[in-house]
Amino acid sequence: MPIKLIGYAQSLPTRRVILTLNELGLSYELEAVTEIHTIKTDDFLANKHAFGKIPVLCDGDFTINESRAICRYLVSKYQKDAKIVLIPDDINKVSLIEQYISYELSYFDPPLTKILLQEVFNKRRGEPIDEAIVKQAREEIEKVLDVYEKILVGKDYLNGEYSLADLFHFPCAHYICTDTQQGDIFDTRPNVKRWLDNLRNRDAYKKTYAE
Amino acid sequence: MTIRLIGYAFSGPVLRVIICLKELGLPYELEPPASYQSLKDEDYIANKHPFGKMPVLFDGGFRITESRPICRYLVSKYQGKHNDTILIPNDVHNAGLVDQFISYELSYYDPPISKLFYQEKVAKRFLNEDPDPEIIKQAREELAKVLDVYEKLLEGKEYLNGEYSLADLVHCPSTYYVYGIVTTHSGLWDSRPNVKNWWNRVYNRDVIKKSLEESKSFWENNENI
Repeated sequence: MPIKLIGYAQSLPTRRVILTLNELGLSYELEAVTEIHTIKTDDFLANKHAFGKIPVLCDGDFTINESRAICRYLVSKYQKDAKIVLIPDDINKVSLIEQYISYELSYFDPPLTKILLQEVFNKRRGEPIDEAIVKQAREEIEKVLDVYEKILVGKDYLNGEYSLADLFHFPCAHYICTDTQQGDIFDTRPNVKRWLDNLRNRDAYKKTYAE
Repeated sequence: MTIRLIGYAFSGPVLRVIICLKELGLPYELEPPASYQSLKDEDYIANKHPFGKMPVLFDGGFRITESRPICRYLVSKYQGKHNDTILIPNDVHNAGLVDQFISYELSYYDPPISKLFYQEKVAKRFLNEDPDPEIIKQAREELAKVLDVYEKLLEGKEYLNGEYSLADLVHCPSTYYVYGIVTTHSGLWDSRPNVKNWWNRVYNRDVIKKSLEESKSFWENNENI
């Protein structure tokens, strides 16, 4: 039975899972969600995601949701058969990767999400962009990226070798570059730029974003 | 060499790590920083936490930051070594579900609780700001919806993933802050039988009750509220 992914290919959390599936060389079926009411039915809430969100992954009888939890599960189960290491065996290395994943959640994503809400989602809904919010979010992410610029000194990836932590950061960063006016925040920092370019050039990423 | 934990015991994320250390039977030394401002010193940022936050844990020469990764590290390294408490199960499916419930805490449970606690306790005490009734109302409504979901998730179960795990543990500080310290909103838990029983079960674990009550006195010493 193939892996089934319920989600929306352009959604950032779904992209995170697709990147992981592609890195692990796993085939899957995408059950595309195009209308929001379908994920708020009693059946979906009871059997797929209690909070009515996507993505949801079904692997045989096993159902799991929340993108980062799904990705960790896929790595735990399938990495040994794949040609890639997204989470190494060494406890200290794994823990530092988890630390960088926490940085992504706590510091990196929130201001970028504020910018996306204004410049992509508000725009799409024909609502005005609140420039004050964009300005404040930009100032916030600039400070965060100054820290990332230091973290990436002498390193191509956050924990030295490529890992799940780098993968998790990519969807949001990439969306800022392709769909907003704020992409220069990455380009003006050489280590950050090199990091994102390295990710962009990986086969799995090219495959994910070509679809 | 003893584990060193940098932080204030009354801070939610630090408390999360303290509970985890105690659940695993691990001795540690708590090092409170000189002040909140000292977290922004160059030395702290370079050698402890690049974003100037707490907690930070040192295990010998190994340094790790961010409370949930610290807990995961402690479990990976020490689970089963000092006692038989299992916080992350070994099988891949159950570990995945524990992870999913940890994500629920971050994504859905903590945000409205943090807003409530900030308004009811932190704003006045640390920033001399008056609580905003609109934010409190909206956060309460959001939390009620989240707890409705938890009520269903806990149907027929004692803990989020059936057996006690790191998923239940991570919920402790924020729950206690609003349920046990602020108390005005404890009805939100008590009016939902599965949620009420779950919280009472978790809270009454020796390690948890003791750790949470130790933090209470700091927050209760507040003449303004």
